Amino acid sequence: MTGRRLIGRRPLLVEGLTALGLVAAPFVLPPLGFAPDTVNQAVVWGLFGIGFDLLFGYTGLLSFGQSAFYGTGGFVAAYLLTKAIVSSVILGLVIGMIAAAATGYLVGLIALRRTGIYFAMITVAIAETFFFLENSPLSAWTGGENGIPGVPAPSFDLFGLHYRVGTGWSMYGFLAICYFIGIVVALRIVRSPVGAILRAIRENPSRAAAVGHSVHGYKLTAFIIAAAYAGLAGGLLGVLQAFMPPEAFTFDTSGQLVMQTVIGGSGTLFGPLFGALVWLSLRDFLQAALNLGAAWKLALGLIFVLLVCFLRRGLIGAVHDAVGLFAGRWQTGTPETASVPTPAPTSPMATVGPSRRPDETPFSGPVIEARGITKSFGGLVANRDINFSVNQGELRGVIGPNGAGKSTFFKMLTCELPPTSGHIIFHGRDITGMDITGVCHLGLTKSYQINQLFNRLTVGENVVIAALAERRGRFSLDFLRRIERVPGLATQVESTLSLVGLAARRDVPVAELAYGEKRRLEIGLALASSPSLLLLDEPLAGMSPRERAETVSLLKNIRRGRTLVVVDHDMDAIFELAERITVLHEGAVLAEGTPAEIQRNSLVQEAYLGGVAA
Amino acid sequence: MITWPNFVSQCFNGLALGALLALISSGLTIIYGTLGVLNLAHGAMFMLGGYAGYVAFEATGSFAIAVAAGSLFLAVVGVLMERVVIRYFYSRPHEDQILVTFGIGICLVELVRLAFGSLSKTVPPPSWAAGISSLGFMFYPTYRLVVVGIIAVALLGLFLVLYRTRLGLIVRAGIEDSAMVDALGIDVDRVFMIVFGIGAMAAGFAGIVNAPVVSLTPDMGDAILVQTFVVVVIGGVGSFTGAILGGLISGEILSLTSMVDPSYSGVMLFAVMTLVLMLRPQGLLGTRGRT
Amino acid sequence: MKSFDRISPSRRRVLTAAGALVASASLPRFSIAAEDRPPIGTWPAGSEGSSVFIGISVPRTGTYAAQGEDELKGYQLAVEHINSGDPLIKAISPKTKTGVLGKKVEVGVADSQANPNTAVQEQSRFITENKAVLITGSTSSAVAVALNKLAQREKVLYVTGITGSNDTTGKDCVRYSFRQDFYGQTAAAAIGPVLIKTFGKSRKAAFMTPDYTYGHTVTKSVNDYLTENGGWTMVTNQVSPLGAPDFSSYLTNIANSGAEILINVNWGHDAVLSTQQAKQFGILPKMKLVIPYQTPFLAKEVGAETTEGVYAATDFWWTLEDKYPLAKMFVEKFQKKYGYRPEWGAENAYMQFAMWADAVEHAGSFYPPDVIKSYEAGRKIPSFVGEVYWRAADHQLVRPVVIVRGKAPKAMRNPEDFWEITEVLPGAPLMQAPDAFGCQLGSYT
Repeated sequence: MTGRRLIGRRPLLVEGLTALGLVAAPFVLPPLGFAPDTVNQAVVWGLFGIGFDLLFGYTGLLSFGQSAFYGTGGFVAAYLLTKAIVSSVILGLVIGMIAAAATGYLVGLIALRRTGIYFAMITVAIAETFFFLENSPLSAWTGGENGIPGVPAPSFDLFGLHYRVGTGWSMYGFLAICYFIGIVVALRIVRSPVGAILRAIRENPSRAAAVGHSVHGYKLTAFIIAAAYAGLAGGLLGVLQAFMPPEAFTFDTSGQLVMQTVIGGSGTLFGPLFGALVWLSLRDFLQAALNLGAAWKLALGLIFVLLVCFLRRGLIGAVHDAVGLFAGRWQTGTPETASVPTPAPTSPMATVGPSRRPDETPFSGPVIEARGITKSFGGLVANRDINFSVNQGELRGVIGPNGAGKSTFFKMLTCELPPTSGHIIFHGRDITGMDITGVCHLGLTKSYQINQLFNRLTVGENVVIAALAERRGRFSLDFLRRIERVPGLATQVESTLSLVGLAARRDVPVAELAYGEKRRLEIGLALASSPSLLLLDEPLAGMSPRERAETVSLLKNIRRGRTLVVVDHDMDAIFELAERITVLHEGAVLAEGTPAEIQRNSLVQEAYLGGVAA
Repeated sequence: MITWPNFVSQCFNGLALGALLALISSGLTIIYGTLGVLNLAHGAMFMLGGYAGYVAFEATGSFAIAVAAGSLFLAVVGVLMERVVIRYFYSRPHEDQILVTFGIGICLVELVRLAFGSLSKTVPPPSWAAGISSLGFMFYPTYRLVVVGIIAVALLGLFLVLYRTRLGLIVRAGIEDSAMVDALGIDVDRVFMIVFGIGAMAAGFAGIVNAPVVSLTPDMGDAILVQTFVVVVIGGVGSFTGAILGGLISGEILSLTSMVDPSYSGVMLFAVMTLVLMLRPQGLLGTRGRT
Repeated sequence: MKSFDRISPSRRRVLTAAGALVASASLPRFSIAAEDRPPIGTWPAGSEGSSVFIGISVPRTGTYAAQGEDELKGYQLAVEHINSGDPLIKAISPKTKTGVLGKKVEVGVADSQANPNTAVQEQSRFITENKAVLITGSTSSAVAVALNKLAQREKVLYVTGITGSNDTTGKDCVRYSFRQDFYGQTAAAAIGPVLIKTFGKSRKAAFMTPDYTYGHTVTKSVNDYLTENGGWTMVTNQVSPLGAPDFSSYLTNIANSGAEILINVNWGHDAVLSTQQAKQFGILPKMKLVIPYQTPFLAKEVGAETTEGVYAATDFWWTLEDKYPLAKMFVEKFQKKYGYRPEWGAENAYMQFAMWADAVEHAGSFYPPDVIKSYEAGRKIPSFVGEVYWRAADHQLVRPVVIVRGKAPKAMRNPEDFWEITEVLPGAPLMQAPDAFGCQLGSYT
């Protein structure tokens, strides 16, 4: 994957190519039949789409409500400029953008309460509501269905020269500068820690939360950023046409944005611009040259459906893949956000020191303690009055027949599930009722029984996501900082990868890993946040004998300086590894003791035999 | 305009409006609940049902045949759509499913426009249901009363299928836990096809039953689709009873708000949806597990 | 449709430019004082070749698609007639031979989706790319107002399609735009006296108003007139959003309002649906229905049994052929080509092109200020509704408003004989003073 390194070493390559492309457009496009107005429209759509792509392509939130912010920004800017409340066009645009972002914040608070299809449906409803507001109660300000005519074009005083932006290519110059700034900022965002986390949220929001990121906070951030882009683009639409059209607010506008982005390629930042160019030129071409009349929309609809079916990554993705086949990797707008320069290879079995958390050393006593926790689902009691405590540095095994309530118990320990009654104490602090993200930051985390990885990211990126939480806390808005500049991140990622034996595989996408490697990465994700207590849920499940042996030795390695609780069905491994073992049976603690004690315990034998017999 | 007779009238009107919304929403919600697919072409299917019925009516002059044709045609369209496109999307992200159905919806609308033009088409109600009836407190179009009855029967039929048949058991199990259905070794493939067909048929049935109330235009599904979303969000996604409750509530909101200020009835619907989301994000009858 | 070859616009431009070069080198300057006239808008580039281009943007998808297609037919018939020098065009524009100033008229058609923004985009493209000398099309005032502004900015003539808002030739009027059709003010002033005369004084009216500026303006105009002159009261005003899927709750309110007359201001499919449902609810024929601003095809869509006895104001109805010979010619030619009798969307479109041809022929040039002055000269122009003329101060055509009443189904002589003409009211007395709505036309250049 030389491409990734390339971007890492020459970070301004994409920016440079963008600038070049924008400068070349007025010379290249007209002979291809593009009128300046079409190009200008496409640039505005493209800028509008950058925000949407950050929201959809990067964060995975499909919103049909972007028109609400496009309209808000546009109308605020147009109103201020036409009423001469603000004389500087730039200032008007900025205020419009801020207004849209603020609206995005308020809307996001409601819409982001749900995800997936709920989110999509809510955004549809929001788009409709905003159109109504613009059209009716606010028509005194927005001009109702007539919109706001007479939006002025910007003018500048540079070096004593007065320059007023005109129409056509003159306007293009202004729009292209805005677009360029928009792209540069967006590239900074996707290359920042925030950008990496957004992609992690797209891939697996619950794991992103479990490794310590405030998923809601970052989603809201993405939503606000998208709203800000939409607001700026809306303002520019008014400036471009000297008229703020009312249908900036309609649901159709949102739909068109979604379609253009998908046609161009989502998750590429440049997709919306290409999609808009294709859309606008095809619309004209189908109507004028092919004489399709009203059927133009049918043709575009079919193209859209085919692209969704067969070219999920749109035109840019297709070109990217084609060129990639032909000449190795080629980079357009898919910046590799989470790549970290690889330091010189270290010894594969390098060990990570004990956790660096400052708050754990002074404390002595049990690391975690469950006091009488009970969990019931309706009438069904899954865990009953469990008391459990693990000391500093201990490796505790938890076993029990199927249906003994081990998973529920684990989920309560990591605060994935609140107990019905009882308390959980971690380092002397009552963590009952905290969320999984919070306890992760206290130093308690878990690896999952079923792999919960960020599938479309590489191994290295996966670990980066987990390590970032420990480096930056649950929520931090460093979206202009390059991810390489996060202090200590590279070392931490490197040592975690070495520890789980995946250092050589860091640039491999997760999807290409063997099962055993995925299991180790699963543990690596938990390790990367430097937990003081690590819960491992069936780390050996489904492994071949060789993988199992590797993982057992990995667990021995990890335990130095850490406290571990391991649930597994593999008795041999547990008896080999654990110092003490807790046996759960029918939701309650059946026995607890050293491996030798447990082996002798008749209750345990009975439970297992009974369990097997049943 | 708030007078006692008007209030009673509007309550009743809300019921009639809500019944239609409930029927359309239930198709949407059954498909989502079982297949996990949000069908954005549902509004277009509603429209298509009306046009299919219109064609049958023009050909035969019989409203009953029109209803049968509208529903069956849509069942076929649904099954085809599932076989040709949707089934390849079960393993893809929700967002892809939304996108592809959104695109299919646009194609259906434009195909109908191409075939029938943009002038609206009408299907008259059956002669025995034409005219108006006195309810004592108000006069109401007879056919709309009949529609309430038809929809009640249709919803009851759906209810029986869902709660009294093996298919229904599977569908409901799928709503609760689709992995479990897989584990039980049921031919999910076939079930999904049938469910998509039933959902589409519900939309088509609603489309043709509603046709005499409105006039058919290619765009008619768009506005309904948005209202259907609100219904489903209020009622709880994937909940059949939630769709009915949500439909009735939405109908009443639209009707009762119009007494105070007619221009705000649409916005009031969205305001109530927002309120529900804040107080009970999973919807009134939704389960917390589904997102 | 005259399709225009857009595949190689650059080639076309090269050829045009080359032609112009040859012309200017070999021929003495023919045009009058060309030196005094710096290029303006698409002049002279747009009229240097053997043809001129008109950009048409009408909705072909979306809410107003039906009206858009109808308009388009009117435009296309007019272009055909202009290019062939049809007697009908010559009757309206006596100086026309074939084409306009001998140049063939070509058109480009784009789907505006009834969106102002799309319309502006498409027309901008026609202006920059095809050097359109004229742009046209709208089925709503929102589009008309947006194109007004575009026309004035780009200095390209715009003749409106359907637009009923007072603003189009009122506060949003521009020098470069001309409106043929009737509008809120004239509709209200025309239908008001008819209503008072027919239904008497002190009646109770319910209004149905679409929730946008056009709707509110017309409702206000009509209500003001009826209140002041007839002592009528508005017992309820049901404001509904554009594209409402169902009107039952609004109609329930109306049914309970005690109104005697229902004044339905909705337009397009909203008008069709609301009228149809009013019938279903038994409000019609219990209440008398009045439609102040008629939607083309309304009667065809809702059926004659619903429109029976309904009063409406309109721009044109085909039975005017009994009264005006030009209308007869138009209806015949239109019906021959398209298989049905034209409604007022097509009539408005045809007349706009015909009168533009007339204005250009009289100006003797495509130079926009000359064409505008030719419009503003106030010539009497023969039309389908008798003689009309342009009002120079606001670019509104002074033309009659037609009041029609719905025929009973059994009184219809043919399947399209929905309305009978009750009155053709002269336009001038119906109109406000040119500056009453704040019209300031702006500059010629």
